[in-house]
Order: sequence, then structure tokens, then C-alpha cells
Amino acid sequence: MRKLIATCLSASLIASTLITGCGSTSSAGSASTASAAEATTKTQTQDTTDTPAAESTASTDTTNTEKTVIEYWHCNADTQGGTTVEELVSKFNAENDHIEVVAKYNPDMYKGLMQNLQAEATTGNTPAVVQIGWAFLEYFSNNFTYTTPQEAIDLYDPESATFLTDNFLPNVLDLAVNNNGEQVGIPYSVSNPVLYINEDLLTEAGVTDLDIDTWEEVKAASELVRDNTGKYGLYIQEPSDFWAQQAYMESNGAQLLTANGDGTFSATFASEEGIEALQTYADMVADGSALHITWEEGCQAFVDGNCAMLYTTIARRAYVQENCQFNVSTVKSPTWGDKERKIAAGGCFLAITAQEPEQIAAAWEFEKYLYSVESMAAWTIGTGYVPPRKDVADAENGLKSFLAENALMTPAIEQMDSVTKWTSFPGDAGLIAEQTLLDARDQILGGQSSAKDALESAQEQINALLSP
Amino acid sequence: MRKFESIKGYLLLLPSLLAFCVFLFYPMLETIYLSFFDWNLIKPTKKFVGFSNYMELFTDATSLVILKNTLLYIAILLIFNLVMPYLLALFLEFIVKKGKSFYKAVFFLPSVISLVVGSILYTWIMNPVSGPLSFVLKKVGLTMPIWSTTQGWVIAVLCIITSWKCFGYNFIVILAGISGVPKEVVESAKVDDVSMHKIFLDLVIPMSAATGIYVLIYCIVQGLQFVYTPIKVITQGGPNYASSNLIYNSYHEAFTLFRTGTSSACSVITVIIFMILLILEFRFVERGIYYEN
Repeated sequence: MRKLIATCLSASLIASTLITGCGSTSSAGSASTASAAEATTKTQTQDTTDTPAAESTASTDTTNTEKTVIEYWHCNADTQGGTTVEELVSKFNAENDHIEVVAKYNPDMYKGLMQNLQAEATTGNTPAVVQIGWAFLEYFSNNFTYTTPQEAIDLYDPESATFLTDNFLPNVLDLAVNNNGEQVGIPYSVSNPVLYINEDLLTEAGVTDLDIDTWEEVKAASELVRDNTGKYGLYIQEPSDFWAQQAYMESNGAQLLTANGDGTFSATFASEEGIEALQTYADMVADGSALHITWEEGCQAFVDGNCAMLYTTIARRAYVQENCQFNVSTVKSPTWGDKERKIAAGGCFLAITAQEPEQIAAAWEFEKYLYSVESMAAWTIGTGYVPPRKDVADAENGLKSFLAENALMTPAIEQMDSVTKWTSFPGDAGLIAEQTLLDARDQILGGQSSAKDALESAQEQINALLSP
Repeated sequence: MRKFESIKGYLLLLPSLLAFCVFLFYPMLETIYLSFFDWNLIKPTKKFVGFSNYMELFTDATSLVILKNTLLYIAILLIFNLVMPYLLALFLEFIVKKGKSFYKAVFFLPSVISLVVGSILYTWIMNPVSGPLSFVLKKVGLTMPIWSTTQGWVIAVLCIITSWKCFGYNFIVILAGISGVPKEVVESAKVDDVSMHKIFLDLVIPMSAATGIYVLIYCIVQGLQFVYTPIKVITQGGPNYASSNLIYNSYHEAFTLFRTGTSSACSVITVIIFMILLILEFRFVERGIYYEN
């Protein structure tokens, strides 16, 4: 009996390492949390040194201790604009005598940042400024405390009362408005999907008109590529989000989410148009003219010349430009026939999560600097995102010369008037709803289910989650 | 005096017991506690839901897929990380005469490289459309399956990537175990004209089984944790949960969907399943093990 108990205990000990071992995988997040907490303590310590005695001394060191230290959380690795973040922050810190910004990188993009923010919030601390991915707009605004940009302006910079309306297109500003009609933040990194074209491969396949406008033309060209070269025609990006598919389906007249008018929302993607769009792509995958693989593999297949067209974010421009050994061009996101183009904005907005008045004021001052024409231009050059501000593309101190040399960027800027919100399902079940949609996509493209069955089933499940 | 020695022994155990309490038992109890609540990590109040998180897991069709995947992962990992290193170690110890150190270094090398780096490297090498492996296969008239979105294949390839990391360590440990088998026993068997096949099966393997059993447990417990990395980097559990396992699902529920209750319930079930597996292993496998000392 004692032996059995000892056996059970040993087994439980080994088995329980599974849980703790699993925990160790999120060590990056924990480490980041720890360092962030450290920095917050640093802020508090420095705030207490704001004494007249400290002010009276004029040395640089003392000036530093008087600065308000705020944290800026971003998810830009060095290959995705991280160096530009550092440059912008260093420039701000050098030019500013009362605010010190500490930039903190969060791995695993917006989801990773959200995970760390969530963990940080449980400790009672939050950074001052954070990048929030569009898909998290509802989740963030439902679960976190933040200051809206207009509130920050009205309180700490009343001379700039019309800053938002003066500098941003209404449809762009609207991207960061939640389902309750509140401007949660200001669009910062805005990307949209474009169609990258391998001109050499399409020409070899016998496609004569490379100015592809519609999905019908994309399908016909893909079939020619398959028949005449044995390669693939099209890849539409498939990361863990539905962003590209949203543009693809909504441009056909579908709508992922519809407001019911009474404050509630319903999933409506299983419409005739939505089903038609996804079934068309599934058929292309089945007949070998399109690819169903992971995002990295798909991009690699395009730059290696094995796939003729790549439908993905403009933020991949630098990668495509640097790696392609053939003539590459971009066209605007295709439309379905003469229907209206609707493309969801990718990227993020900046939100102020600072809690203390002094921190909120500093956060707004830093944000205003990030939205200056020069900073926006530097951000676009460093990342490939489209500037959300109206006047950056044409300004001499903006992107004028850059755009002249980087023609791949032009279609993305020209289609900014077609940008719509990235659908963010409301309420606590929003993330589960998004996951349900991704599962349906896998079932359809994997050939396990027809678009009609999978979308109708997913719609039913999501509506059950959304119903009050 | 004897009593003092006994107390001293317990006192010396205390630091490790403390570490176990803080980093193992407390998180485990907290996980069990959380499995009865609906909470997303930030809401000020946790909603008590009783056993509904468990009920959800037991009634969800996805759970069955994930459980099957987990067992498939275990089976494949055991072949790649226990059977194959065993065979290679036997081969190197008893057949190969020259360059043993070189082979040891070559097989061990990948285990010091990060699995994230390995996953990214393999994503490129095994790209089904334009990777070098696909290119080579095309040259010999074969088509590489689009493994990353194909049920079954995706698990096999993720296991290969994981094995790239685990193989070397397991191989060195098994080799050390086999080296401990007295040479004179093997030599006498050879003199008696016993076939190599029988020497391996009836002599070497039973005499090195203590090491083998350690690697077996290590394979099951650590293998599933290691495989988490390529899942996270390459497939994120997809397509449609075809590459997810119990460990990844716990992570996915907690840190993608922020459902800590469901995640905790999944973790608790995982622990129970592994407890059962290990109890079975202790009772039926370890009983026949030869321990030299």
C-alpha cells in the first residue's frame, strides 16, 4: 500500500511539472512584466525627488531625475520597425527636458502585447502608451481603463482641440471607434492588403494584361499559371486572423458583423456573397491554382517564384522588395466585378493607459510627437505602414521623395479611402468568435467542409455567443 | 544522535521542498482553484461556475481531436526519441569501430540550438512549395505533401522538428547507459556464438533498461512540452486543431482566448491523464527493470 502511495506521489510530481513547465513557456511575458514593474517603481521614486532642493541644482543628472518617466509598449521587432521606434524615442528624449520615454518591446505582435498588458493589469500597473491591434479594439475597450485622445487633449493641450479632425480622414479616425461610439485611440500603424504580382511568371503563363483589377481576373490568371507553368497562381495570407479574408469577402458585398440597431450585433458573414467568395477560393485550392499553406510559407513561395500572386499586407513590401529576383509590382486590392472595394485596416492604434494625471499629460505629449509629419514619415519608411495622417504623403518633409522611389507603396496609399474597420466581435466572447471564424476557414480551405456549411455553422455559433 | 541526524536530513530537504511548494504545488493548487471559475485575468471578480469548464471540455468535439493528437504525438515522439536513439547508440557502441567521438558530437549538436531557431529553419527547409527538400523530392519525381495544412502530416513533421532538438540528448544518455553494460558479458555471448540481434534484445537492452526508462519518461513528459515551440511558431495549433495538443491547448485557452477557467480545467485533466500513464508505467514497466546498484 505504501509503495502504491509512493508511486502515486511520484507520478503526480512528474505529471504536475507539465503545468509548471507550460508556465515556463511564457517566461518572456513574465520577464517583460517584471521589468515593467521595476520601471514603474522607478517612476514613483523619481516623482518623489521633485523637491525644491532638487530643482535648484542645475546639473544634467538632476534634470533627468525631474523627468516624468513613461513607458511605451510596442510590438515592433528590429526587423519590423523596432529600430525606428528606438530612433523616434531617442530623438524625443533628447529634445524633451521633462519627459523620459522608455520603449518596451513585446514579442508575438499585438496578441503578445495584449497578453503582457493583461498580466500587467493584474498587478495594478499599466504602461502609459500602448499599441493595440485593431482586432482587440472591443476587447481592450471593454476590459481596460484608458483615456480617450480627445479627453487628454481637452485636459492638457486645449490649443490643439481640433487636432484629430484637422489631421485625419474621418474613415481613418473611425477605425479606432468602438461599438459604443467612443474614440478609444488614434490610428497609428495602418496597413491594407494589396496584390503583389510576379510579372515575369504571369507573362510566361500567357497573361497579357498585368493591370489586374478584379478577383475574376485573378482566378483566370491563376488557372493560366497552373496550366502553362505548373506553378501556383495565388496565395491569400492565412495567419491567426481573418483580416485578408474579411477584405476578400466584404468586397463581394458580404458583411461580417451587422449592428441590429438596438445596441446588439449579429454575425452575418454566411450570406450568399460571403459563401460565394470563400467557396471560390476553396475551389481554386482544390484545383491546384491557389495555395493553402501558412503565411510564412506562402510569402516564401511567392518570393521564390513558385506562386504568381500574393495577397497580403503592404507592411510586407520591404520583405518582398528585398527578396524577389523578378519584376514585381503591386495593384490595389481587387474588387468583385464592379462592386465597391472594402479593405479592413491592419496595424494598430495608440491608446493612453496611463492612470495618473502627470503620466496622461506626458503620454499625450509623446503621442503628439509621434503623429508629427516627420515622425509619421520616419515610421512609414521604417515599417512599410501607410501613414494615417492626411498630409504626410505629399509633404516635402514627409514621404514625397520616398514614394517616388518606392512605387510598390502607391496602390496602398491610393486605396486608403476604401479602408474599413477590422471586424472586432463585441463583448467578452469576441476572441472566441474570431477563433470560430478561423476554424471555419481551415475547414473550408482544407476541403473538410463546404463554405456554405462551415460559414452557416460558424455564424450560428457566434450569434449564440453574441446573444444577450 | 540518530534523531539529530534524521532532523538534519529533513532540514537539508527543506530548501528544495520550499522551492517545490512555491513553483510547483502552489501553482498546481491555484490551477485547480481557477478551473472552477470563469475569469479572463483582468476582471475584478471571478465568476464561480462549478464543473461547467470540465463539462465543456468533455462535451466539446475539439477536445477529443486534441486528446487523439496528444496520444499520436506521444507515439511518434517515442519512436523518434527513444527507439531510434537506442538503435543508434547500440550501433555506435557495438558495430562502429572508428570516429565514435565525431558521431557523438554530430548527433548532440542540435540539442544545444534553440528550438525556435530550429522551427524557423525547418519552416524554410520543409516549405512544401519552394523549400530545398521539396526541390530535391521534385528532382526524383516525388511531390511533397502540403504538410502544414494536412491532417496527420502536420503532427509527423512537427515531431521531426522536435526530435531534431531532443534526439541528441537522449542519444547521449542512452549511450552512457549502454556503455555501462559489462563488456565481458557481451564478449562471452559472442564467444558462445549468440547472434548480435539476441545480444541486443536479451542482454544489452535489459541491462541498460534503467536508463531507458528514464528516457521513456523524459520523452513523454518533456517531449510534449518541447513540441509546443514548433506548434506555436509554425501552425498555432492549426489547421482546425489538427496540430494542437493538451499542452498547447492550455496555453491557447489562457493566453489567446483569455479563458483561464477552461485552460486550468484542461491543465488539470492533462495532469490526471499523465498521472494515470505514469502509474501504469511504474506498475507494469518499471517492475522488470534491472538496477545495477
